Amino acid sequence: MASTKSKPKSGAVAAARKKQPPWLWIGVAAVVVVLAVAALASSGGSGGKNKTAAGTEQTRPVTVTGAALPELPQSGGDDPAVGKEIPEAKGQSFDGTPVDIRNDGRAKLILFVAHWCPHCQREVPLLAGYLKSHPLPAGVDLYTVATATSSTRPNYPPSAWLSKVGWKAPTMADSDDGKAANGFGLSAFPYFVAVDGSGKVVARTTGEITTDEFAGLADKTLGNK
Amino acid sequence: MILGYDSSVGTVSLFLALLAVVAELATATAIVLWIGGHFSPALRRLGQAAVDAVAPSALTLAALVATVCMTGSLYFSEVAHFPPCHLCWLQRFCMYPLVPILGIAAWRQAGRVRPYAAALALIGACISAYHVALEHHPEWESSVCDPKNPCTLIWVKRLGYLTIPTMALSGFALIITLLAVSRAGDRPVPSELPRSDVHGFH
Repeated sequence: MASTKSKPKSGAVAAARKKQPPWLWIGVAAVVVVLAVAALASSGGSGGKNKTAAGTEQTRPVTVTGAALPELPQSGGDDPAVGKEIPEAKGQSFDGTPVDIRNDGRAKLILFVAHWCPHCQREVPLLAGYLKSHPLPAGVDLYTVATATSSTRPNYPPSAWLSKVGWKAPTMADSDDGKAANGFGLSAFPYFVAVDGSGKVVARTTGEITTDEFAGLADKTLGNK
Repeated sequence: MILGYDSSVGTVSLFLALLAVVAELATATAIVLWIGGHFSPALRRLGQAAVDAVAPSALTLAALVATVCMTGSLYFSEVAHFPPCHLCWLQRFCMYPLVPILGIAAWRQAGRVRPYAAALALIGACISAYHVALEHHPEWESSVCDPKNPCTLIWVKRLGYLTIPTMALSGFALIITLLAVSRAGDRPVPSELPRSDVHGFH
């Protein structure tokens, strides 16, 4: 069997390798040139994809007053923010409509989303569909904060994304430096803050949740366990 | 997918995506010829002709593929400013060393390097495959998004499916294919062997 494993001597191999067919390299070069031309030709209109409607801004100035909530621990355990009063956030929606999240005596659910987060991209359409047939209980308001917005990240702009998935809740466009997110102790996306009528946090959670869990959060804001 | 990058990044990412398609076609062709060659004499002859044509340049081509992959990843991180995630870095650890390893192997015609390069490329391909799977199933990593730079974040999606890890997987697969072709080119074809060698006996 030894002879079947024998290979040509290294000098012979080297000599053979030197005979690299020129047509192969000409072909490789031709393919690269054709692909480069195709990429250049088809990228002419791509810049328009990211334009947003006139007057629409993806980030807006936000003012937060009051003590910031502590960050939600990712390791689990007791949430240090439960029972604490939320800060007041004053901002605007993408089109400039004022959106204020304040202690107005009403229970509320606040959802923080990032346009590039794949979990948010799955959660928001799920909740949008659910809310069409299951509106929140009377006395509970729903707010959204579009935060961590970046034009270099996927699924930009958030205004187009939320509109596309049929998201109807009032949405605050967070500031470039994420003032609203920082004020509410965001540690991951998506992020939910449930607030009772006295303006105190009753629950917070991060990550994708089911529609039943979402309904449970709404119940908690009304003092129902 | 709507992306926020400017048109120059769009052009380069499309060019790299088209190269990835060529890499996938080349790999798929090689697999078809290899498997088909076990059943069809015509495909076996065609496969042998392809090996004869490509094998002398296979190591050089593999080095070229690794160089393009490395340049592409550096473009995405340093020019387009897409920060590499944890899994991207692991793929880089596999791809970047292939550039000097395969380059020197091609220069010196050092075929003995092939198993080591193939092992590195195989590890990289496995990481890329896992990364691609994570993009389709973000819940495998976690149910939340790290605010900084999660591995599930899809920076680029061209031609409907080509993300950065998909392009890396295509590159690793082509490198493994070229290494296999290079090795096949070193083997004497049965018709060139002395008659006694064909049967394996003296």
